[in-house]
Amino acid sequence: MNPVIDYHALAPEIVLSVTIILCLLVDLFIPDRPRLVPQLASLGVLAAIIPVLTLAVSGTDVSMFGGAFVVDNYALAFDGLFLVVAYITLLVSFDEIADGDYYGGEYYVLLLTSVLGMVMMASSRDLVSIFIALETISIPTFVLAGWRKHDTKSNEAAIKYFLIGVLSSAVMLYGMSLIFGFANGTKLSVISEYSAGSPPALFAVAIFLTIVGFAFKVSAVPFHFWAPDTYEGAPLPVTAFLSVASKAAGFVALLTIIRFGFFNSSDSWQPLIWVLAAASMTFGNLAALRQTNIVRMLAYSSIAQGGFILVPLAVAGDVSGPSAWEAVLVYLMIYAAMNLGAFAVVMAVSRRTHSTEISSFAGLGRVDSVNAVMLSLFMFSLAGIPPLAGWFAKFVIFRAVFDAGTTAAVVLGVIAALNAVVAFFYYSNVVRRMWFDEAPEVVSSPRPASVALTLAIGITVVVVVVVGVYPEVFARLGQLAFASG
Amino acid sequence: MELNQFLILSAFIFAVGVYGVLARRNGVLVLMSVELMLNAVNLNLIAFSAFNQNINGQIFALFIIAVAAAEVGVGLAIILLIYRNLRSPDLDQVEQLKG
Amino acid sequence: MTEFYREYLAVAVLIGAALALVGLMLGVGKLIRPVRPQADKYITYEAGSDPVGGWGQSNVRYYVYALLFVIFDVEAVFIFPWAVGLEPLGIFGLVEMVVFILILVLGLVYAWRKGVLRWA
Repeated sequence: MNPVIDYHALAPEIVLSVTIILCLLVDLFIPDRPRLVPQLASLGVLAAIIPVLTLAVSGTDVSMFGGAFVVDNYALAFDGLFLVVAYITLLVSFDEIADGDYYGGEYYVLLLTSVLGMVMMASSRDLVSIFIALETISIPTFVLAGWRKHDTKSNEAAIKYFLIGVLSSAVMLYGMSLIFGFANGTKLSVISEYSAGSPPALFAVAIFLTIVGFAFKVSAVPFHFWAPDTYEGAPLPVTAFLSVASKAAGFVALLTIIRFGFFNSSDSWQPLIWVLAAASMTFGNLAALRQTNIVRMLAYSSIAQGGFILVPLAVAGDVSGPSAWEAVLVYLMIYAAMNLGAFAVVMAVSRRTHSTEISSFAGLGRVDSVNAVMLSLFMFSLAGIPPLAGWFAKFVIFRAVFDAGTTAAVVLGVIAALNAVVAFFYYSNVVRRMWFDEAPEVVSSPRPASVALTLAIGITVVVVVVVGVYPEVFARLGQLAFASG
Repeated sequence: MELNQFLILSAFIFAVGVYGVLARRNGVLVLMSVELMLNAVNLNLIAFSAFNQNINGQIFALFIIAVAAAEVGVGLAIILLIYRNLRSPDLDQVEQLKG
Repeated sequence: MTEFYREYLAVAVLIGAALALVGLMLGVGKLIRPVRPQADKYITYEAGSDPVGGWGQSNVRYYVYALLFVIFDVEAVFIFPWAVGLEPLGIFGLVEMVVFILILVLGLVYAWRKGVLRWA
């Protein structure tokens, strides 16, 4: 009767949970040592990576709770991604949180809780566990977006994000409830079997509603309108976390539910994802062109990048091998590195200039050449220029499109290619202003960037350069993750 | 027992919730409309669960109830925060970020 | 007409009877009562004292108690199904539930340490 529990396979989740509880207790009972909680949080995240590695080495797939929770290479690859992203987010958070007069302890507790949900998400293979993981990710981030309690912009970021979050959950759940009714089960394997038969037309509506719910989470156009406002209003480390980790988790949920559940009824979801991908790329890029604030520009750019990640999903039903799934994983890993890096540099620079307007980056090349070089690298990588990692991300996308080879796939490929050209303009605009424009008036009271922030920039820039030159590193990881499935 | 009555009722409640979210400007009322939508989902799940003799639907509904409680807790806190800063629960006044 | 709808016929009859009864009572009252309108009679009745007008603002402190209530509310939602399956689950189930409740208690400890429970 008792469920069989493999504690080794659950170790990443258990380590994170214990870390969260310890952080909360330390914050409550040892309040006079504010540096203890961030240290504990980073140690916990690093400790959670260890069982992920040992599980990857042992190489056996574990299935628990009647198949609702599976630990395989696929799950471990995303676990690793989420934990590394979490660590870098912690690194970029230290300064910002210590400077503010807000509760520091709770910040780390909420951030780690969200990460716990992400690690759960990678292993979930059941509608219920996917839902629970998604809410564990989302609910702490609603609070984090409103972290600056007395700043009405931060309030606005929180309420917009919250309302869209709960609305999308409700729509997604309505779709899931219909799917449960049709397939008579919540397990993705059961749904997959059901959709292999000849499901009625209403089943397509259920799939539609479910995917629309996820489209809100990954801020795909036309469900994107909350993203720029939330990104601008939220504190910068939280924005970095939302635009990378939380977005990646949404894509993982979408990937999991399509790959293991809906795959057989590709007629229902392929056209929908196709439209979302084309609209996100085009609209995201066009809106990014006319932004004057770099955070808003990065917000629209992340919408466009999200569109690129949807491209392989939109053609996945016509690809025989795993190249479409691999493309999503590889793109997410590279996107995480370059976007986090870009945000880290923006944070480092804005500590000196107290502004995130693009005009405040003018002349940075002369004032602070190291950060200017870093930001140029990240911008060119986001634009997809070789030999930086971004080109390989674009490459795997186009490879999936050619593997599919259908007319729809080729048209989408052409739209993606055109968008890559448009994107180059606004990314290079930032670089141009940094190196060729005159610096504005010097602003008072610079706050130097800490070692942690510098370390975060260092890690991400190494990933962007090394993966750009030796893309086999991530390509091999992608193959391993989808080898058995 | 017939399944359709429950599905129609649930679809109706869901539609009322969607209307409330779109039409209401008071934060608390929007929150209540979202709750209506979630309850429509619960009704669906329990109707299917009883009709198909599958207990999973009821378990799903329990989780939704718990998560909805957490969402309302956070949502009310955010609305309260806005009320303190702006002295109004009207969401139309929350319009600084645009573009 | 199916059996299911026939059961609902009783509900319809009951609704009809209720409406008729209320209509009858109000109608008869309207016919026989004297009508002498005065401004004071149209004021909202508020426990005998003068009405303050508008919506009363409830104290923000109640909100925190509502949140704390949610903790125990959620606890109950999960304890009921657990209690039904307690016997076959045995010691394992007990340990799991103790862990679950301890995590919820942590929420209460948090509220207590942050001074939320003091009514000051």
